Amino acid sequence: MDLLLDSLKSAFLLLLSYDPELFAIVGVSLKVSAISTLLASLLGVPCGFIIAYSSFYGKRLLLTCLNTLLAMPTVVIGLLVYSFISRRGMFGSLELLYTQKAIIIGQVILIVPLVTTLTIAAISRIDNRYRNTALTLGATQLQMAWVIIQEARYGIGAAVIAAFGRVIAEVGISMMLGGNAKGFTRTMTTAMALEYDKGEFVLAVALGLTLMTIAFGINLLFHFFQGRTYVDTV
Amino acid sequence: MSILYSADRLTKKFKGRTVLDLEQLQLEKHKIYALIGANGAGKTTLLNLLAFLVPPSSGTLQFFGRDAIYNRQHLLELRRRVVLVDQYPILFTGSVWKNVEFGLKVRGVAKALREKRVLEVLELVGMRDFTQADAHKLSGGESKRVALARALAIEPEVLLCDEPTANVDEENQDVILSILERINTENQTSIIMATHYLAQSRRLAHHILMLAHGRLSDRSELF
Repeated sequence: MDLLLDSLKSAFLLLLSYDPELFAIVGVSLKVSAISTLLASLLGVPCGFIIAYSSFYGKRLLLTCLNTLLAMPTVVIGLLVYSFISRRGMFGSLELLYTQKAIIIGQVILIVPLVTTLTIAAISRIDNRYRNTALTLGATQLQMAWVIIQEARYGIGAAVIAAFGRVIAEVGISMMLGGNAKGFTRTMTTAMALEYDKGEFVLAVALGLTLMTIAFGINLLFHFFQGRTYVDTV
Repeated sequence: MSILYSADRLTKKFKGRTVLDLEQLQLEKHKIYALIGANGAGKTTLLNLLAFLVPPSSGTLQFFGRDAIYNRQHLLELRRRVVLVDQYPILFTGSVWKNVEFGLKVRGVAKALREKRVLEVLELVGMRDFTQADAHKLSGGESKRVALARALAIEPEVLLCDEPTANVDEENQDVILSILERINTENQTSIIMATHYLAQSRRLAHHILMLAHGRLSDRSELF
């Protein structure tokens, strides 16, 4: 217990002293996670819309596959991407391994299914009369899609926030594809794992506190969006 | 006689069940038609077909003498001449103004013209004071009037109304019926409305069509 209390006290002091190493790690984490979330949203939201509004053979199987991908361990994605970008892999010549780009690729693969399935859920909740109203008023398919996305914006926003929360807290992909290089690919979670291995708890606890603060902020946003969705449908 | 719609052996099935089966139907332009019938008679299905929102299961539907072709481009052209106001109209999130200008905006109408038109139709439906009101905070009657204004803003050749006066108070009913009468007289807009109210139909419609179990009744013109 003393160890935890001492670590917490030191961690607070470290945070208050604006330790440059700590803030560099937080910066890398935020940057990588933000880019991954943005790319995954650009892919996942349109995919979710198309799947929600299309009827095609195998749609239920596709939904089952997407739901299964939600449970994919980060280590499996790390291994998969590693096999493609390692020196002997198909994209080895691009020298992506142990770079922030490699982490982003892995994280995008991790959260595209999450953004897609949550977008499908958000769009499916939108009354079909919105679609028909837009069409009867002369909207093109693209204009109708924009109407639906606007009506589902809180649900889609919640999907994006959930995805950001997922990537900022993951460790497997960042460790396997980023390599935990100080100042380059060291994220909050990989730094915590390293500090734990070294028996240096102070930085690990400080990073843990920062991560939890960010997670709390994300959850506040998530509840805000969820609340707006609920209010809209009442 | 100028034919607006002409349907030949038009059917619509949902999950194998025939909900509409019309041998022949011809509707003239510039007229008001009232579709009456019990719940499940096929009124809404017919309106959706006439609005080109759903394709028929079989048969042909002609609009101004031309077969409706159910491809994206042709449907867009048809839908820009016909508008359907739902029984429980959905207003988009945002202000009354944004809702009413929607149809004009998607057609690329210039801002100045949009503003003029929106004010005109809001005046027509008596909702001019509500331009900046949140559309989701309106009463049932007000929502129906805004939905009507949104449809009229685009100056459709055909206005399809599903139960335009259902679930609204008498005052709003009178307002809505007067507007329908006025736009038919002044703008020559063809109107086809589904309703439960025979008295309203007699007051407003040039022709009354009775639907029963998805078929047109022989007694249609006798009311």
